[in-house]
Amino acid sequence: MDLLGQILINGILLGGLYAVMALGLALVWGVLNIVNLAHGAFIMLGAYVSWYLYTYAGIDPFLGLPITAVVMFAIGYGVQRGLLNLIVRAPMFNTLLITFGLEVVLTYLAQLAFSADFRTINPSYAGNSIVLGPVVLPLARLLAFGVAIVLTVGMWLFLLHTKLGRAIRATAQNLVAARLYGVEPRHLYAMTFGIGIALAGMAGGLYGTVSQINPYIGAALTAKSFAISIIGGLDNPLGVIVGGLFLGILESLTALYVGPTYADVASFGVLVLVLIVRPNGLLGKAA
Amino acid sequence: MKALRIALVFVALAVLAAVPWFGSDVLIQFGINALLLAVLAQGWNIIGGYTGYASFGNSVFYGLGSYGVGIAMVQWQLPFGVGLAFGVALAVVFAVLLGVPVLRLRGHYFAIATLALAQVMTAIVSNVKLAGQNIGLVLPPLNNDRLFYELSLGLLVLATLTIFWLTRSRFGFGLIAIRENEEGAAVMGVNTTLYKTLAFALSGVFSALAGGIHAYWVTFIDPESAFDISLNVKMIIMAVFGGPGTVLGPVVGAFSLSAISELLSSEITSLAGLFFGVVVVAAVVLMPRGLADMLRRFRKMGWRYFAENIRTHRL
Amino acid sequence: MTAILEIQHVTRRFSGLIAVDDVNFALRRGEILGVIGPNGAGKTTLISLISGTLTPSSGDILFEGRSLARVPAYRRARLGIGRTFQIMRPFPGLSVLDNVAVGALFGRGGGQAQLAQAREQARAQLDFVGLGGNVDQRADELGGPGRKRLELAKALAMQPKVLLCDEVMAGLNLVEIEEVIEVIRKVRDEGISILVIEHVIKAIKSLSDRLLVLHHGEKIAEGEPSSVLANQTVIEAYLGKRRA
Repeated sequence: MDLLGQILINGILLGGLYAVMALGLALVWGVLNIVNLAHGAFIMLGAYVSWYLYTYAGIDPFLGLPITAVVMFAIGYGVQRGLLNLIVRAPMFNTLLITFGLEVVLTYLAQLAFSADFRTINPSYAGNSIVLGPVVLPLARLLAFGVAIVLTVGMWLFLLHTKLGRAIRATAQNLVAARLYGVEPRHLYAMTFGIGIALAGMAGGLYGTVSQINPYIGAALTAKSFAISIIGGLDNPLGVIVGGLFLGILESLTALYVGPTYADVASFGVLVLVLIVRPNGLLGKAA
Repeated sequence: MKALRIALVFVALAVLAAVPWFGSDVLIQFGINALLLAVLAQGWNIIGGYTGYASFGNSVFYGLGSYGVGIAMVQWQLPFGVGLAFGVALAVVFAVLLGVPVLRLRGHYFAIATLALAQVMTAIVSNVKLAGQNIGLVLPPLNNDRLFYELSLGLLVLATLTIFWLTRSRFGFGLIAIRENEEGAAVMGVNTTLYKTLAFALSGVFSALAGGIHAYWVTFIDPESAFDISLNVKMIIMAVFGGPGTVLGPVVGAFSLSAISELLSSEITSLAGLFFGVVVVAAVVLMPRGLADMLRRFRKMGWRYFAENIRTHRL
Repeated sequence: MTAILEIQHVTRRFSGLIAVDDVNFALRRGEILGVIGPNGAGKTTLISLISGTLTPSSGDILFEGRSLARVPAYRRARLGIGRTFQIMRPFPGLSVLDNVAVGALFGRGGGQAQLAQAREQARAQLDFVGLGGNVDQRADELGGPGRKRLELAKALAMQPKVLLCDEVMAGLNLVEIEEVIEVIRKVRDEGISILVIEHVIKAIKSLSDRLLVLHHGEKIAEGEPSSVLANQTVIEAYLGKRRA
C-alpha cells in the first residue's frame, strides 16, 4: 500500500513536469494552429541553456529559469518571424513537414555544438528529499512540480486576464479581430510562438534537474508532449494539467506493475486510443 | 514525345542495372541504400501523395519487414523468400487492424497518430523475446552485394510500375478523388474506408519488402535501427521534393537527395542529417509542390517562382 | 405516380439546434420537385441526409421502397442517388474530363471498371451539359458557370435515378439560368427524378412540377407552384410577419 502511495506521488510529480512540457505546444497549437513537431527539440535546447548557466555561471537552475525563458523567447520569436510566418497560410502538411525538418536541424546542430555526451544539472540540494509520512518527495522533483503548476496556472490566468493574453486568444479565433486589438499580426504570432518556446525552454530547464539530457531527447519529448496535449484536450488551457497528471500516473503505475520498459507503450497506446475514440481529449467536447 | 520519354526510362534502367558490373563497391552500396530509400518514398507516395493521407509512421512497415525476415531466418530457419512474405503479412495485418481506426482521422491528427504508432512499435518490439528484445537479431550472412542491388532495383521497378498502374486504374482514380475531396468522393460512390485502407496496406507492402531486403543485407537488426523514425523524414522529403502524386517524382527526389547527402557526409556523418533537415525546411518554403512543379513553372516564371510561393503562403 | 424517394418524419439535430424538423414528403418518379425556403431553413441539411453524408436523428428515408437506414453514402451513390454540391468542389488537380470520369467509374452499380470507357461516358455527359469544348482544361480553371455545369456532369456520369441539385443557379445571370433550366429539363426527359434546391424563385417556379417550402427546418407548404407561392405562411416566412 505504501508502495502504491509512493508510486502515485511519483506519478503526480512527474505529471506536473509533463504538464509544463506540453503547455507551450498546446498554446502554439491552439492559437496559431501550428503543430510544432520540433517542440521537443526546443525543450532540449532549453535544457542545454540551463545547463550552461549552471555549469559556467553557477546560476541555480530554478532561479535561472527566467533567463532561460528570455533566451528561448528570443529564439522562438526569431524562428516564427523569420521562418514559420512564411508558411502560415500554406496547407497544414507544410507546417508538419517544416517543423519536422526543424527538429532534425536543431538536433544535429546540438550534436555538433554540445557533443553527444549525457549531461545533468545537479545542484547540491538535488539529492535531498522531504519525507511526508510514508512517502518520500525528492526535492528536485518537488520543486519542478511546484514551478510547473505555477507556470501552468499563470499561463491560464495570463490568457484570460491580460490584454496581450486576450489578444492572443482573439487571434486564435480571427486574424482580423487581432488587428482590432492594435497588435500587428506578424508580431503577435511571433510573440505567441516566443512564449510557447519560452515555456518549452523552461520545461527543459526543469527536465534537466530530474533527468539526463543529450541532443537526441527531442523526438521522444515531442511525442510525449503531443500525447499530453491530445489526451488532455486542446480546447481547455487546463487540459495539459489533466493530460500530464494522467500520463504521469499511468506511466508510474505501468512501470511498477508491468515493467519499466512498457511505460512508453502505455503512453502512446493511450494516445492512439484517445485519437480514435475521443479526439478532443478528456476535457474536450465529445466528438 | 512520349516515345522519347519511354526510351529514356529504359536507358536509365539499363544503366542502373549495369552498375554492379562497372561500379566500385562503395558505389554499389550507395546504390542499394538509394534504391531502398526510393522504394520507401514510392510507398509513401501511394498513401501520402495519391490518397492525401500524410503518414508520418511508415517506418513501422519497414521495421515489420525487417523483423519478418529476421525472425523467420534466425528463429525458424526459414529461407529469405519466406521471411519476406512473413514481413509483408505482418505489414498488411498492421495496416488493416490499425489503419481502419486511424484513417478516420483528419490531416494532422492522422499524422500524429502514425507518428505515435511508430514510437509504440519501437517500445513494443524491444520487449518481444522472439525478436531478440533490445539486443536484436543477427542474420546469416550473405556476401553478395550485386544480388541485393538487383533485388532492390527490381523492387523499385515494381513499386514504380504499381504507381503507374494507379494513374490509369479505377482504384487510383478513387484514391485521387479521396485526396481532392473525400466527402465528394464518397457521394460519388467511392468506398473511402476500403480504398484508404488498401492504399495504406499497399504502401506498407513496399516498405516492408524494402525493410526485409535491407535487414538481410546488413545482417543485423535491432529495434532502434529497424524502426528508425528518421526514415520517415527521409521518405517524405524525398517524395515531396521530387513531386508527390507523380510517377517518377519520388524516385528523382530519392536519388538526387541521396547523392547530395552522400557528397556532404564524407566529412562528418551528422552533416548528412543536418543537410536533410535544411533541405526540408528550404523546400517547404521555396518549392512546396516539389521538383516536378518547380521545373514546369520555372520555365515560365524564372526566379519569381520561389518568391511567388512565399508570397501566397506568408502571413 | 409512384414515389421513388420517401422522406418519413425525418428530424436532424445538431447539439441542441434542430436543423430539420419532422419533415414528410415524397419525390415522385420523373418529377421535378423544387425546395425553397429562407436561409438556414435546413435545405442543404436535407440533401445531406438523403445522400448519406448525414444520418437522421429520427425518421427514415426510403429509396424505391427500401430503407436507407444503414446504407453508407457510397452505397447510396451506387444505388442511384446523385447530388451536386452548393459550394462547388471539383477535384482541382484533375482535368474536367477526369473529374467527370470519377462519376462514371463509381456511379450506379459500381460504375465502369475501365478508365477508357469511363472517359468516353464522361465525354458524353460533358457534351450533354454543354462543356464539350472544355474537356482537357484543369477543373479549377473553369469559371463559376462552368463549374456548375461540371457539378451536373459529374453527378450525371453516375447514371443516377434521383438527382439532388443544391443551388445550381446561384450567382448566374439570367441567360445562364435559362441554360441551366434547359439542361435540367433534358435530364428529366432522360427519366431521372430531380429534387432542386433554389433561391431564385422565378426560375424554380417555371422549372418545378411541384414546390416544397421549408422554414426553420419544418415543411410549411407543398403543392403546385403558383398556389404555394401565393400561400400566406410562405410569404410571411420570407418577408416576416406583417404588423397589423
